[in-house]
Amino acid sequence: MPNPPTPPTHHLTLLSSLSPPSTERTWQTAPHPRLPIVATCSADKTIRIYSLQNFCLLSTIAGGHKRSVRTAAWKPHVTGESVLASGSFDATAGIWRRWDHYSDSSNLNLSTTHGDDSEEDDEEEEWRFAVLLDGHDSEVKSVAWSASGMLLATCSRDKSIWIWEDLDDGDNNFETVAVMQEHEGDVKCVAWHPAEECLVSGSYDDTIRVWREDVDDWGQVACLRGHGGTVWAVEFEGIPFVSGLTGKEEEQEEVGKWRALSGPRIVSCSDDRSVRVWRRIPKETSPAAAAAAAAAGMPSIIRPTGLDEDWELEAVLPAVHDLAVYSVAWSRRTGLVASTGADGRVVVYQERVVEGQQPQAGPEAKLPPTEWVVVAVLIGAHGIYEVNHVAWAKRADRGRDVSKEEEVLITTADDGTVKVWTLGQ
Amino acid sequence: MASEVQNSNPTILNVADLPTRLSSAAASKAGTGSTGALASIFSTSAYSIDWPTGLNLSSDSSDEDVIEEPIDEQEIYDLISSISDPEHPISLGALAVVSLPDIAIKPTLPDVLGSDLRTISVLITPTITHCSLATVIGLGVRVRLEQSLPPRFRVDVRIKEGSHSTAEEVNKQLADKERVAAALENGTLMGVIAKMLESCR
Repeated sequence: MPNPPTPPTHHLTLLSSLSPPSTERTWQTAPHPRLPIVATCSADKTIRIYSLQNFCLLSTIAGGHKRSVRTAAWKPHVTGESVLASGSFDATAGIWRRWDHYSDSSNLNLSTTHGDDSEEDDEEEEWRFAVLLDGHDSEVKSVAWSASGMLLATCSRDKSIWIWEDLDDGDNNFETVAVMQEHEGDVKCVAWHPAEECLVSGSYDDTIRVWREDVDDWGQVACLRGHGGTVWAVEFEGIPFVSGLTGKEEEQEEVGKWRALSGPRIVSCSDDRSVRVWRRIPKETSPAAAAAAAAAGMPSIIRPTGLDEDWELEAVLPAVHDLAVYSVAWSRRTGLVASTGADGRVVVYQERVVEGQQPQAGPEAKLPPTEWVVVAVLIGAHGIYEVNHVAWAKRADRGRDVSKEEEVLITTADDGTVKVWTLGQ
Repeated sequence: MASEVQNSNPTILNVADLPTRLSSAAASKAGTGSTGALASIFSTSAYSIDWPTGLNLSSDSSDEDVIEEPIDEQEIYDLISSISDPEHPISLGALAVVSLPDIAIKPTLPDVLGSDLRTISVLITPTITHCSLATVIGLGVRVRLEQSLPPRFRVDVRIKEGSHSTAEEVNKQLADKERVAAALENGTLMGVIAKMLESCR
């Protein structure tokens, strides 16, 4: 392991473990987009809902899947109700619904029954099984909702990606929009663009692929090669570009302009132990196009001819992991990237402008060079166990500083434990 | 499982000649598939306790001599050599699918001071170069070791270089944690594995 060029400036401190833990392997923990709760997927075939306010178990969704639950994702932009999609080794994806009550009952006891309505209330407190999405031939590895919440992507060992449209007709109907089969191995992960209907996937075939809809058909618009092993996780950067950069303000602004032109980048991690950042090469470099792109990433009505995109490797993050990297998370609040994997380490990286290199003006202008530095390394986050997942979430416990939007890191491990960490200087 | 026997006439070593720390009686018992009293020492429970690193604290119970030994290559060999081949009622040791020199134990994270993690590498040599059961054998070895050893041991099972036509493919599968986890939930496959492991207990 080469030493990072600068010693880590931050450290991760354990805030709490989620309690009680699963007795079997946990694969993933998905933070809710609005509420201070998370969903943890376990090999015991259940999904556990924990509070981020007191770190206690709120409910357990059981009986839906016949095998390990591998993945879960919360549908965004739903109000008054929470909608969770789950994916299992039983080859199905499940949709679960529950009326929101967690937010106003931060206490341990969930069954807040009122007099004679108790039976009805109990029912309302429960997670309702809505629909089972059947179609994959083998284990579902990852599920993800599009930014609008209209589309759900699922991927499987059967090498395919399915895109489902939530018809939102009150009857839990989902329609299959597309089945993409270009990957040559298990599709391990899917993730959506933060604003557009653009999907990225990572696979056992070592490639990352980008997908968009062209008129009526979904198709591959880019294939990113470079990883020397299974791509375990991919994620888009947030928009607008959140600078995790340190450095002069004008330099940061300049970088921001260039970032808006390329659109959000993709971060990926792999069995080859590396974490990589990929950038789309902008097609149009005219000021008008740049302005349009900068105007917050709405899909242009008139598409440029040919949907193919050129993506290039922008950076290989400093090598810290000794074994497969299973998960990577790009904070949409701070721009920090966190990774974890089989070696039990949790690593946090920050992007910096390389100092002393003035951005050039005019037609020769190019992106001011940036570099990624390791700001925190935690060894053996879950003792001897492998860590399967890392995620950023908004801090919600009493110890938080209410004057700022603090974040926590959530790690999920093979021994069934989920830990919540704060990043401090 | 394949419907036809892929190697109907494998080379079989004399079980008595195989290296073992067990007494020869126990070794031959394990090799022939019966469950002997000594073989049961190697049941899951015997290894469910975690081992102290490096130093080998002696236990008071004198009848557990075998357990007090630190886990070494010979012990790993004894755990997996008695697994039966899925095609033949013969042990992997007798078929030389596994052999003592092809087992290695190394620190998983050599750069981390005081790390308890150890990686056990097992190279398997399928009896014929295109044996489609190589994955099943590899999975059987992995399952046997993961069930028998404390969790600080990581298991790395590979096909020995040059011994198999699709070694790379098999190795990638065996190293894929997610695929292995899913395979363990596959009833048919686990039935085959359970049968292979019957001779171990």
